[in-house]
This record gives sequence, structure tokens and C-alpha cells, in this order.
Amino acid sequence: MLVVDELKKNDPQLRLVAVMVAVGVCILLAGLWWVQVVSVHEYQQHLETQAYRSIRLPAVRGKILDRDGRVLAENRPSYNLSLFLNDMRAPFDAAYAKLYKAARLAQKDRIAAEEKRVGHSLHKAELKPFRLTSDYLDGLRQQARLSVVNDIVTQASRNIDVPIVLDPKDFNTHYAQERALPYPLLKNLTATQIARFAENMTNGCGVELDMQSARNYPNGTVAAHVLGYLQHDDSSGTGEESFYNYRLPDYKGLSGIEGQFNDDLHGRAGAESVLVNNLGYRQSANVWNKSEPGHNVVLTVDQDLQKAAEAALRNHWGAGVRGSVVVMDVRNGDILAMVSSPSYDPNQFAQGINADKYAAFKNSGAENNRATHENYAPGSIFKTVVALAALEAGLDPNRTFRVDPNPRDTAKGGIYIGRRLIRDTAPPGEYKFQRAFIHSSNSYFVTNGIRAGVENIVRIGQEFHLGERTGLFARQETGGSFPTLDRVRANDWHDGDTANMCIGQGEIAVTPVQMAVMIAAIANGGTVLFPRLVQRIEPVDEDAAEPAKDLPAGLVRDRLTVHPRSLQLVREAMLADVESTEGTGTKAAVPGFRICGKTGTAQVQDGANHLTGYNFWFASFAPYENPRYSVVVMVQSAGTGSGGTVCAPIAHDIYEAIVQKNQLHLPAVVGEAVYDTGRHLPGVRSGK
Amino acid sequence: MYTTNYNVPKETFDKLQIAALLGLMFIGAAFVYSATMANDSAALQPWYNQAWVRQIVWYVLGLGLATFVCVVDYHTLSRWADVAYWLMILCLIAVLIPFIGTTHGWGARRWIDLGAFQFQPSEFAKLAYILAGASFLSRPVEELKQPVIFWKGIGMMMLPFVLILKEPDLGSALVLLPTGLVMMVVAGTPRRYLLRLMACVGLLGALFVADVLFAPAHWQIPMENYQRNRLLIYFGRDYKDSAPPNATPAELQRLRQRQLDDAYNVRQALISVGSGGLFGKGWRQGTQNALGYLPRAVAHNDFIFSVIAEEEGFVGSVMVLTLYAVVLFTGLRIAGQARDRLGRLMAVGVVTLIFSHVFVNIGMNIRIMPVTGVPLPLLSYGGSSVLCSLIAVGLMQNIHIHRKGY
Repeated sequence: MLVVDELKKNDPQLRLVAVMVAVGVCILLAGLWWVQVVSVHEYQQHLETQAYRSIRLPAVRGKILDRDGRVLAENRPSYNLSLFLNDMRAPFDAAYAKLYKAARLAQKDRIAAEEKRVGHSLHKAELKPFRLTSDYLDGLRQQARLSVVNDIVTQASRNIDVPIVLDPKDFNTHYAQERALPYPLLKNLTATQIARFAENMTNGCGVELDMQSARNYPNGTVAAHVLGYLQHDDSSGTGEESFYNYRLPDYKGLSGIEGQFNDDLHGRAGAESVLVNNLGYRQSANVWNKSEPGHNVVLTVDQDLQKAAEAALRNHWGAGVRGSVVVMDVRNGDILAMVSSPSYDPNQFAQGINADKYAAFKNSGAENNRATHENYAPGSIFKTVVALAALEAGLDPNRTFRVDPNPRDTAKGGIYIGRRLIRDTAPPGEYKFQRAFIHSSNSYFVTNGIRAGVENIVRIGQEFHLGERTGLFARQETGGSFPTLDRVRANDWHDGDTANMCIGQGEIAVTPVQMAVMIAAIANGGTVLFPRLVQRIEPVDEDAAEPAKDLPAGLVRDRLTVHPRSLQLVREAMLADVESTEGTGTKAAVPGFRICGKTGTAQVQDGANHLTGYNFWFASFAPYENPRYSVVVMVQSAGTGSGGTVCAPIAHDIYEAIVQKNQLHLPAVVGEAVYDTGRHLPGVRSGK
Repeated sequence: MYTTNYNVPKETFDKLQIAALLGLMFIGAAFVYSATMANDSAALQPWYNQAWVRQIVWYVLGLGLATFVCVVDYHTLSRWADVAYWLMILCLIAVLIPFIGTTHGWGARRWIDLGAFQFQPSEFAKLAYILAGASFLSRPVEELKQPVIFWKGIGMMMLPFVLILKEPDLGSALVLLPTGLVMMVVAGTPRRYLLRLMACVGLLGALFVADVLFAPAHWQIPMENYQRNRLLIYFGRDYKDSAPPNATPAELQRLRQRQLDDAYNVRQALISVGSGGLFGKGWRQGTQNALGYLPRAVAHNDFIFSVIAEEEGFVGSVMVLTLYAVVLFTGLRIAGQARDRLGRLMAVGVVTLIFSHVFVNIGMNIRIMPVTGVPLPLLSYGGSSVLCSLIAVGLMQNIHIHRKGY
């Protein structure tokens, strides 16, 4: 062989050269082996860290649908006008070259002037102060970039007819830190702006439309509190890669269903790695981990009923009224509508809310969901519970009770508990159970409540799970307050406290959802249900192997231990409250649809026991024969009135909408019998 | 007196060497293409202006010159050796004169602008030195024992060395030393001279390195800043050590940044070579060059080996080394078969020169040598280097053609 021949040659001098060459080649081989084979991972690592940037790609958020699959929250493409810096390198360089040339000329002039002054050509040390420092040149580059970008921005803003302001500081930060990502100039372009852009800006100057997914609530303020809102949040979820060079905007649900079911809706973020060149510009991209879209959440809410309930509240008292409506299916606990007023537009949050708007949101009183997150004295609607306790304790509904006149206002009744006078809105006279109920006689219920014993009232209240959360929302629900047995057995509990409780005041506060559950239990024969707001969580892709997850309907929380006869008496009394001419809830009546209700008016006092306003209530269910809907209306007001005048008309509108809807469609109820509403509808078969 | 037109027998060329040469030229064209076409502005040039086409033109021109060198007997050539040597010395002096030499935008004055192309005299000077040195040393061994002859030989080597060093082009100057020394050894210079010479060179080298690394400012050999920095980087010196004791954190930070900047080429070359792995990323698939991490200005010339190693991996590196080894060992075989001492010395000189280039250039890519502007023969882009390499190989073939027994 060639090499061996040379190494064995009988010519010492040439052999020496051959050995030298062979050793040299071997050293190189060993070095290359070390670098390319032994240390290959180390250098590939170096290559990756300097040439790759990882980007977190948020998943497409799941939709929120109503019970019939109509969209309540979805994603729409949002177009940003963005600068693609990679395409702008040539103009950047050109602008810099121009500035650099000018700087050089100026430098020459200055040196020439200095030479003229000192009268000899400058030597090295003297030239030093005239040198263009690298900081100065960096400044020039920055200036060049800004001038190019400014020109483009001016052109773009003229073309799409929107003033765009470029924040130089923001741009420089972006350039320094996120050069591989497009720089957004204008977010959320309107259709007109997009059209104008497409018409005028096709010269590939680096400005492009950049599409992103944006959360959209097509109905605006409708069901805002149920849906909740989002907050910008790019952080990694649990079990997710946590190191990224860049993160694209992502959101997390803060409240409502968006918050409660954030994990289901959010999906799993993916990752992309972008190859960048030595200047940090994007070269190519590779998605190495696809994002998994979030799941859709199907609510029990009926969009039509929700809109009707909101309209009813708004039409009577305006959009700014503080109040709440809950419509629930008494048979299975499905929430059909849940209104909290005033409402807000969750779209504002999705688009990034500014401080002013956020303050306005806070001040408007729209932050909390009044149906679950705030509690109120129930007033007379609590008399349903007192009635049950009294009937169970042996009250004869046909026995008459004499309501004495109020000594200060003899047209109205009144009763002394100790030295305290409790006024009655009912006139003095003889009252049986039903008449006392529909007149909401305080004297009657205070007397019979005390007679039945506070412990019995508390026991029944506990069977309704008053004072406990219903479990609709983890963070935005209060259990309200309700005394425990220990509390009422304590020494400092007096008959006055019991009397207060009998008229739904004092140490008792409830949420509208709790009242809906309570009324539903009275209506359905004593079953206390867990309310349900979400019926199903389903994968976006219908072909997905993963099945939809159904949340159980009609989950029973408790059964009332009261006699069916007592419930029937209360139901009849509630029916009379709406249908009898003497009733307080007559304004709720809808012809042909038998509604049972109870009105309530609770006084709201501040810390110094001054009256500051009222909570008006109307708690109802219908139809009487085959109860299906429970409708609870609550309105907070500083003005006077009564549950019958303030809330019953709202309930009336809602029941009308229900009747109308049922005339149009077969009631869509999962696995349940179709209820006869008492009339035969054309084309609709009643029965099983 | 030999005639130049005598009958050339059939088995004349060293075919193995020529095959290796063609292989290297093929690789050279392919990777100059790969290294330059990744750059958009270079790719948009008309084809006749593109580096790889020009490189091929140089190959063709070089092969023509090599053929010419082949057919003229090397003895005839050696008669012109002194003329060539002094002509090149003149060129080396000329290049130092500001209006003749051009810096090409770099710090060093190494080129003479001839309009169509720039001519780098140091490359040709190395060849001229081999020719002249070989004919000088090919005198009878007895004469080599005279100190005068010895010193003259040293002088012949040192004159171009100093001039090239002055450009400055440390790398090109340094490759002259092994070339000269090896020729002296093979010529039969007495051992005692050689040992003394080696000791001298070693001592000077050690002093030089010590000076660069440790000397206080006013003791330092005058040298361009970038040269000193390259050496400091090579010897792994931390810039912070040279900071004054009361340096502020900002100054230290600046020093660290400067060190990173100065070490940039070496680091990127290493990353290129290392990330290539065993089999490489494939031709034109290397990212280091395409993304501009490996500076575009040097990727196709001084650092062409990084591009090859990244794209073809260890396998490609071994292939390149094998081709060079074939050229070198066939060169040694030619030296052994040479008809006379002149041919033997010339062949050995050429082999050592090529070997030095290969070793220094590949060595700097994997950081076993400091960064110097020494091209990789036949692979690096550049006319002067390609022409010289091919002429040098032509010389070897010439010696082969006129070997013993023909």
C-alpha cells in the first residue's frame, strides 16, 4: 500500500517526512473524530440554542353552546396588521447604508476641519475622538429601522384610512427581543379595513395581515355572567413544556363557565420551533407539537328563554337595574336561564380591556353574578318554608286567625312581639291559611311560626339546603346564610329573632338560585335537586375517539320529609296568590297557563339600621297541574313597591315567552315525558 | 542539458495522484457552490459571476498551467528559479506599498489588484521559494557543510518569510518554515546545523508565545490587534485577566463581549464541524452557513472545511483527508523515484507545503491551530491559491514524468 510503502522506505530522510505527514493526518483524524463523533451532541446543542426559538402555540378554545347547540361563545379569526421584519431587512440595510454614508462624510468633514485648525494631518491618537463608535452605529441602525417602519406605517395608515401610531420604544423592544415574530401595528381590523388593505397594500413591503383566533360572544351581553370572561394569560398549563422563547397570546377563563370549565375549554397548547439566522430573523418554522383544541361545553341554558328573561327585566326596569332571574326545570334541575343585571359585554375582555373600561365595569355593579354570587334577604317568599313548618307542626289550614289592627295605622294589621311592633300589609280581620298566604300576613305567619317552633323551621330550611352552596360555580357562588339548630337553641335567640325569620328577614340570606331550587322542590313533590348548568362536554371533532362527557341531570340532593298534603296546601296557596283577585302576585298571571307564585319584599338596612332599599322577589313555578318551570325574579331597588308590582310583571313576560315557545316547538327535554299544559296545541301531540 | 520535446512514454503521469486531485476539485466546486448559494444576494448574481463558476474557471486555468509545467522539464524550469524568486520578492515588496497593494477591505495588505482579479503574491512566493530553494540545496552534499551555504539557505527562506509576515499574513509566513526546514533535512544538511536551527526556531517560538501571552504592554512585539486576539483565543486566555484590577462590571462585561466576538469565527466553525456528526446533514443542508452563523465572508474560502464537515459529517472529513493523503504520499513516492536531488527536493518541498496548508487550515477549524488566513489547497475559493496548488502538483508530475528509468 502507498502509505505503508512510504513509511517503510529505505530512505531515512524521506521516511522522516512520510512519518511526519502520517502523524499530522492522524492528529487531524483524531481531532475530527473527537469533534464530530464524540462531542457531536454538545455541538448540536449549541447549534439548537443559537439557531432555534421555540414558540408556544395556544390551542383553539372550545365553544360554549346552548342546549340546542346554538353558539354562545366561539372563536373568530381576528386580523392584525403586522410587520414581518424578515421581509424588511433589505430596506433596513438600505436606509442604514444611506445614514452610514452621511455619517462617514460628516466624519471626514470634521477631521478635515480639525486638520485645518491644527495645521497638520492627524495621527492615530488624535483621530480617536472622531471614530464612529459601535454604540453610535447601533443608534444609526435603530434610526434607520425606525424611519423605514415609520414610512410604512404612514403609508399603511393612509391606505386603510386609520391613524396608526408607532411607539418607537415598543418597536425597539420587540426588535431586540422577538425579532422572529411579526410586530403588530393594528389589532382587530374591521372588514372595511381588511378590504382597503387588500386593495392598496400588495407590494410586499413587509406589512401583512396576521390572523389570530379571537374569542367572540355573538350575543354580546346575553348570558354574560353565565359565560364569564377571559384574561390574557400565556403561561404553561400543568404537565406542559414550560420553556419557550416566545409565547403567542393565549387566554384563560376568569369567571363563569369560561372560568369553571377552563381546563376543558382551553385545550393543550402546541409548540413550534422557528429557525432563525445569525441576525435573529425568522427563516423557517416547524410545528413539532400540534395543539389540541379545547372541548365544547354544552349548557342547559335555552338561549331563547335567556334572551326573553333578560328582555323582561330590561323592559320593566331598564338595563341598569340590579336584579336577577333564574329559570329552572323543576323536574331535573336544569338551569334554563340565568340572568344577572346589569350585564357586561365579555367581548371587551377578549379584545383586551383598558383600565378605564375595567373601572367602569367594576363600578357598574356588573362584576358579580347576582344569581349565585350575592345573597339577599328573601322576605315573604320564605313564608313558603314557614308555612310548611307550621302545617307539619299541626296547623289547621281552615282554622281562622284574627289579625289585630296596627294601633298606628288601623287600616293595616300588626302584631307585637315583646315590645316590638311588626306591621302587616294585610288589613285586620279573620284569616285562614290560604288567605293569610296570599295576603302575606305577617301576623299570621309570625304567630304560627313561633307556635311551630323555630327548630322546625330551621330543620325544613336545612332540608332545602339553605345556607349551602348549590355547586354551580366553584368560585363565584355563595351559600348565603341560614341559622343552624345550635344557633337557634342558644340563649341569645329570642322570639323576636324567630319572628324576623318568619317574614324572611334577619339572619337569613339566600341566592336566587337557592330560591329556584327551593320552589322546584315544593313544585315537584319534595325533591331537592342540584341545579345543573352544563349538560355535556364534547370533543370538537365529532369523529374523535374520545366520547362526550355527560354531566348527570336531575341529581337529587335531598328529599323533604314533609307530608305531601302540606306541599299541596302550599302549592294551592301559591296558585291562589296569582289567580285569586286578592292575591299579591296577580300581575304574573298568563291566561291558560296556571302559575303559582309568592311575592316578597325584604327591607335592606345599612349598619346603623337605616332603611336603604328593598329586595323585591317573585318566586314561582308553573304549570300548576304538571310543574315544569320555576321562575325566580329578584330586583334590588331603592324605591318603594312590592314583589307583586316590581317582579311579578317580569315573571309574567317570561311565562309568556315560555308559552309561546312551547306552542312553536315540542318541548325539547331529554328523556322526559312531554307535559300537557292544559290545552291541546294544533299539530302537537300531547302525551308520551 | 535535457531536451524538452523528447518522447514521453505512455505510463508517465501519476494517475492515482491525478485522480485524487480531480476528486478534490470536484468537492471544491460542489462546496464553494453550497457555501455561496445559500446567500440570496450571491445566488442572484449572473452565473458567470458566481463563485463556483469562477472556481471552476480557476481549476481549468490551473490545469492548463500545470500541463505546461509538466511538459517543460523541471531542470529547464529550475534555471528560471532565481528569476522567479527575485521577481516574487519584488512583488512582496510591492504589495506593501499602499498604492500597489490592496487590503481587499481587510486589515492586511496581501493583494495586488490586476483589474480582472486580485493576485496574492504570497501564494506564488511560496512556490518560487520551493523552486529556488530546491535548486540551491541540490548542490553536492559536501558544499552543504559550509556555514556560508547554510546561512545563505536560511536567508533565502527568511527573506520571503519576513516580507509575508509584514503584510501581515502570519499563517502564510509560518508555512514557509516547515517547507524550508524539510527541504534542508532532505537535502542532507549536517545534523548539527539542523539541531541548532531547530533549537533556535523552538526558542524563538516559545519566546514569541510567551510574549503574546504574558508580556506587559510596552514589551509586546508590534502586531495587529486581531492577530494577538486570535492567539489569545487559541491559547484559551480569558480577556478578563487583562482587565485592570479596578475595572467596573460594565467594563468586564464589555471585555467578555469582545472575547465572544473575537472567538466568534472559531466557535461557529467548531459548531459547524461538530454538529455535522458522523454522516452530516447533506449537501446544501447545513444551517450554520445558510443562516449566516458561519460568516459569509470566510465560509467559502478559509472556512470551507467547516461547510464540508457540517454537510458531509465525519465521513466527508475522512474522505477529504484521504484525498489529501493520497496526494501527499504519491508526492513522497515521486520524491523517492526522482531522477536527481533537484527533483527530490522539489517534490518534498511541494508535499510539505501542501501538508502544512492542510494541517493548519483543518486544524483551525477544529481548534487545534490558531486562526490564520491559510487556504485549504484546491478546496478554498480563490484564484491564487488554486493556481499555485495546481502548478505545484504539475511540478510533482513533471518530476514523475522525468523519473529514474525514463
